[in-house]
Amino acid sequence: MKNIKNILLFLIVVVASSCGADFLSPEPTSAISAEDYYTTEVQLESAVINMYDAIQGVNAFAFSSTSLNHGVQIEFYLTEMRSDNTRTKSGGGLPQELVIYDAAATNTFVGDYYRSFYNVIFRANTVLANLGVASEENSANIEAEAKFVRAYAYFNLVRLYGDIPLVESIIGIEDTEIQFNRVAASEVYDLIISDLETAVSGLDNTHKFRASKAAAQTTLAKVYLTLGTEYLLAQQLLEDVMISGYALEPNFKDVFYNEGNDEIIFAIGFESDNSNDSQDFSSEWLNGVGRSSGVNYVTDEAKVVIDALGGNRKEYSYRTDVAEPSQSQVVKYLPNGDNSLDIEPTSANARLAGNDFIVLRYSDVLLLHVEAIMAGGNSTSVQTALDSFELVRLRAGLLGDDDNSITKQELLDERRVELAFENHRFFDLIRFGEAMNVLSDYSTNNGYNFSSTDLLLPIPQGEINLSNGAMQQNPGY
Amino acid sequence: MVLCSKTQGINLIIKIMKTINKQTNLILTAILLVLSVYSCDDFEKFEPIGANSIADETPPSASFSYTQGQGLEDEWKDYTFANNSISATSYSWDFGDSNTSTDLDGFNTYPGEGMFTVTLTAMDNLGETSTFTETIDVVEPEEPLVSDPVLVNSDFDKLAKLGASDCSCSAWDNDDIGEQGESSTVNGVSSFLKFDNNEPDHVYQEFEVVPNQDYTILIVTSFKSISSTPGSYPGSMLELRVLAGSGYVSGYTPVYYATAPEFPNSGYGYTTVAQVEESANNLLTEAISNPGNQDYFTTPYTFNSGANNSVALFVRGIGGEDTGSYGYTSGDEEIRADSITITANN
Repeated sequence: MKNIKNILLFLIVVVASSCGADFLSPEPTSAISAEDYYTTEVQLESAVINMYDAIQGVNAFAFSSTSLNHGVQIEFYLTEMRSDNTRTKSGGGLPQELVIYDAAATNTFVGDYYRSFYNVIFRANTVLANLGVASEENSANIEAEAKFVRAYAYFNLVRLYGDIPLVESIIGIEDTEIQFNRVAASEVYDLIISDLETAVSGLDNTHKFRASKAAAQTTLAKVYLTLGTEYLLAQQLLEDVMISGYALEPNFKDVFYNEGNDEIIFAIGFESDNSNDSQDFSSEWLNGVGRSSGVNYVTDEAKVVIDALGGNRKEYSYRTDVAEPSQSQVVKYLPNGDNSLDIEPTSANARLAGNDFIVLRYSDVLLLHVEAIMAGGNSTSVQTALDSFELVRLRAGLLGDDDNSITKQELLDERRVELAFENHRFFDLIRFGEAMNVLSDYSTNNGYNFSSTDLLLPIPQGEINLSNGAMQQNPGY
Repeated sequence: MVLCSKTQGINLIIKIMKTINKQTNLILTAILLVLSVYSCDDFEKFEPIGANSIADETPPSASFSYTQGQGLEDEWKDYTFANNSISATSYSWDFGDSNTSTDLDGFNTYPGEGMFTVTLTAMDNLGETSTFTETIDVVEPEEPLVSDPVLVNSDFDKLAKLGASDCSCSAWDNDDIGEQGESSTVNGVSSFLKFDNNEPDHVYQEFEVVPNQDYTILIVTSFKSISSTPGSYPGSMLELRVLAGSGYVSGYTPVYYATAPEFPNSGYGYTTVAQVEESANNLLTEAISNPGNQDYFTTPYTFNSGANNSVALFVRGIGGEDTGSYGYTSGDEEIRADSITITANN
């Protein structure tokens, strides 16, 4: 009888410790794994900061591997350099492919930006997947912040590449059906809008270098204007930002050389002489200071408009390259200062620059406000639009609109001058429906190869190859 | 020289063998054996059957999209055509107005309004073609005229009212922010609404507007002198506000009723006087003073709808010393409103 009891006990023990999934793949105790790292809100907070680290990208001077993600630091190659605002100093190389509308699907900037911003999305999805560890008090705020960042990344990607894969959760290497499935741009915009709505309701205006309610409102308004719908909602969002405590800096120079000023709504922060958190785009825009001999040099076309409409913005927009006086450089974001303009260097090493990159600022809001009131029309005489327009012009030392009717062309030109070299021009041309006209003429005059299909970048060739036939290239590539 | 049959080949070898020494025989025999493996059929297998014997595996696919020009002049006649064709190398455009082009992207200025059939033919280097056709309707865009807002019972006729007896205030009542004005008629014909002396009487109605549009309000009113002291006009004022739809109580979507008896009496739009008095919610705030006689007179006001597609008109008597349950009352004299009209300033 006693033996039988022992045997029974033995059986129970054996049954209770049968071999389950956990036994075969135990949680590692001596190393950190992504799957079970996040257990506290403090840890989740590090995942939140990690999103901005991905936008910031790696300084290519500090870490030279080309396979790294350079995030927003290479954005100007794909936006400003593909517009009529900037070009390379002396032609040649991969940047020149973009300038003359001859980019190949293998162009490294095309692949780098795509990779970088899907990495931003991955990091935002990581925050969203681990919201469970956040306190009830902060959960909604953290969700809103991650969704703002995700929407910001998707908005850039969908405007540059068109139909793109829609990744809404953390995926693995085997989830090929998601990562190589190009969904219609309209579906991407649906997610962007719903993410931004969550962001607007869950955020406040505490931060300038992280997501804020005003940043989400401004981005959502810009999304509506891009889609050409919901002009009234866009106007209401912008008018809410306009009573949220932001203001134009009295001096245009201070917008760029007084970091975190009242005009900034959302900026990507960089720290000077810090390998991990500095940027190198500022040095690339100079003559042979960065790796290139000089990129993002100002076109004659841009100079003509800035000279005519710039007012006191002109001297802080572009300057003569002293080494090559026939060429002109951007003055916004100088890393090594300019004595004649009373601009101090921002870092000891120009290639480890600390100049922040401004994503959204108040004058953008004011001009978007005019655009929302114009509501797709050819002009507007509405007083509130005239007021917003005038604020931007007065700061530049100019007067408001001369005939109380702002035309679409006047607004497009004002945006070009006010926001020159801040990566707006290409998207503005598309949003205003003028990209085909303007870029065709610009291309013809300069002997470039623009055609309508150049309004979208190619999907990076590496993605096409990995997709095993699932991904179709954009037309024209 | 073409070797096209085994016998020809063998004859040739024999001829050669006769002319050269025997040491090479072994090699030539080997050549003979190799040659004899192939028949004429085998060679023909590798001959082209005709031009383009391999199918074009990436035939062209023509496609385009188009945009009408925008601007203050004749830009509406300008159309840009974006070529979205795949796997093609040359293009031919027919814009439907006898203009043609062989450029990659198309651009055409049309002579005027009309339907035009645009055809794009895309061809690849093997001569394969694909065509894409779309008919476009070229129309000069019109500046749409903004229509006048619809006010229900704008003459304050004595009409059936939800849950109450007939009233000049029918369609104009919001009990959360004031008391309904009483009805009155002159000679049983002309009906008007009374803002009684020392009472918190009001009218309130929501209506649809176009955003950022100027509108003109005309209100016809009369101030009564006090019967106990004829000729005295102590200080009632008629206050008129245009309230932004953005200030409606959270979650409320305005409903525009067609007839007066459908209008609710409370729990909609603006639900507190504090909301009404919040300056950010006011597109227009004006007060009409007593002119010192009892004649009807018309006062015009202009407001801009701003970032709203719905606004509310709110009129109340103020100037009383007793603030009452709503925080306001009119003064000692009665005020009458005969009509309110609102028109869009086109």
